[in-house]
Amino acid sequence: MCSVGDDFDNQTEKLMQKATLTKLSDTCNKCRAEKPCIVLRGKDTYCKNCFLINTVHKFKASLGKSRLIHLNDRVLVWYQIGHPSVALLHFLRTGLDLSTPKKLRFHPIILFVYDQYQLNNKEGKELIENAKRIVSSFGFDCNFISFADYVSNPENVPNLLNSESLFAENDIEKLNLVIHKTSSRTNRNDIKSLLRKKLLIDVAKYWKCKFVFTPEISIDIASNLLSNISLGRGSHVSIDTGFCDDRDDEVRILKPLRQFDMKELALYNNFNRLESLSVRKSAVNPYSSVQDLMAKFVIELQKDFPATVTTIVKTGDKLSLDKNAEVKCKLCKGPVSVSDDLVTSQQSTNFSRFVSNELVDCNKSRQERFSTICNKFDQTNNENELLCYSCTRIYGNFML
Amino acid sequence: MKITVEFSGGAELLFNNKKSHDVDLPDKDTNWTIANLLLWIKDNLLQERPELFLQDNSVRPGILVLVNDTDWELLGCLDYKIEPRDKIIFISTLHGG
Repeated sequence: MCSVGDDFDNQTEKLMQKATLTKLSDTCNKCRAEKPCIVLRGKDTYCKNCFLINTVHKFKASLGKSRLIHLNDRVLVWYQIGHPSVALLHFLRTGLDLSTPKKLRFHPIILFVYDQYQLNNKEGKELIENAKRIVSSFGFDCNFISFADYVSNPENVPNLLNSESLFAENDIEKLNLVIHKTSSRTNRNDIKSLLRKKLLIDVAKYWKCKFVFTPEISIDIASNLLSNISLGRGSHVSIDTGFCDDRDDEVRILKPLRQFDMKELALYNNFNRLESLSVRKSAVNPYSSVQDLMAKFVIELQKDFPATVTTIVKTGDKLSLDKNAEVKCKLCKGPVSVSDDLVTSQQSTNFSRFVSNELVDCNKSRQERFSTICNKFDQTNNENELLCYSCTRIYGNFML
Repeated sequence: MKITVEFSGGAELLFNNKKSHDVDLPDKDTNWTIANLLLWIKDNLLQERPELFLQDNSVRPGILVLVNDTDWELLGCLDYKIEPRDKIIFISTLHGG
């Protein structure tokens, strides 16, 4: 029997020392007087009053710091299932109702994008009724659009908005017509998020909104950032996960909740007695796509190391766009790095893939083979010039 | 011992879509802790798929627990001794969002 490592047996306790838990403070971290009722980041304790004030302040600070939105601007708010969206509506309503100089002075327009195709007709109707009820309880009108209808007919936004038929039995087929059935789940997710962004921008343009608010929170930002890097969108990290996405010339996409934890917003909603929209989700195999795997990775790491998400997000904040890139990708509108004389890793990867897929003509000399393959590669490369690296991977998986 | 148990944020979907449950816990020799309560909920209230609510004898990560509007992390998590008329809320952050 193998006895390697047996000598360490009695030392395991010494080698694997248990981390001592930080003792939680008995008073609120902010006012140092009240009894705390909530723990954030596994160590900071707050009383209810300070917690609510802090949360609202954090939202306003993120908008205020950017100084992008001006008096009477129209803002499209993407309302989604889950706690963050409801908290966002409450932040907006309380901000608009203020009579102090800190009052929010823009006009939000709420949009719900229906894309829950795992639900049956009855559940779908219920979801829409609930969405309507929740949004109107904040004094806003809720507008609807069907994602499947938009992707099959993107030119027809005015007629699709608030149409009678938000879901039909052939919605999944409609999606499959646009996004090829054979594409991997990773690519499908990537294409869907591109199309969703396009939808929001198109609707915003139709309603003359200069801004779109999306309800992504810190954990979404962190897992998006890592997925982006693994999908070859590393150069777009700062616009995809930063506060402001200004790829489009007219409409900017803002993420006002990107600094918030789920716990913060869920408890904010609970303390304010707000009801969130929830839905039965179909089980997703975390290993079926890069995006799902990244989400699992971040969530599990965060569980044991509460600084994970903030570390990823803050590191992402330090990355910036390549200012020299003037060409925009025709799919995602992100900058395309223009190659100069130096060969980039993107070109090497492309070349390697191209060469491995080519059949070798053994009748030609080595020199000839080399030049034919180089010429052929240059030709195909030109076709893809207007796409960024990551979009060349999904181009052809769907129809525009 | 009478207490109130509430489910929200989508956790109620596992409990017949009912949010608030007035519960009468049977008397026992030792104190009722949240750990005991979770097992009791699993046997008596939970309607379907226990793996979506419980994991490793505790709640699934992503479900927040409040006792009388106070985070259970401040009260000793699973070891908190339940008092009569306590209001215990389970908030799911997993269903949507």
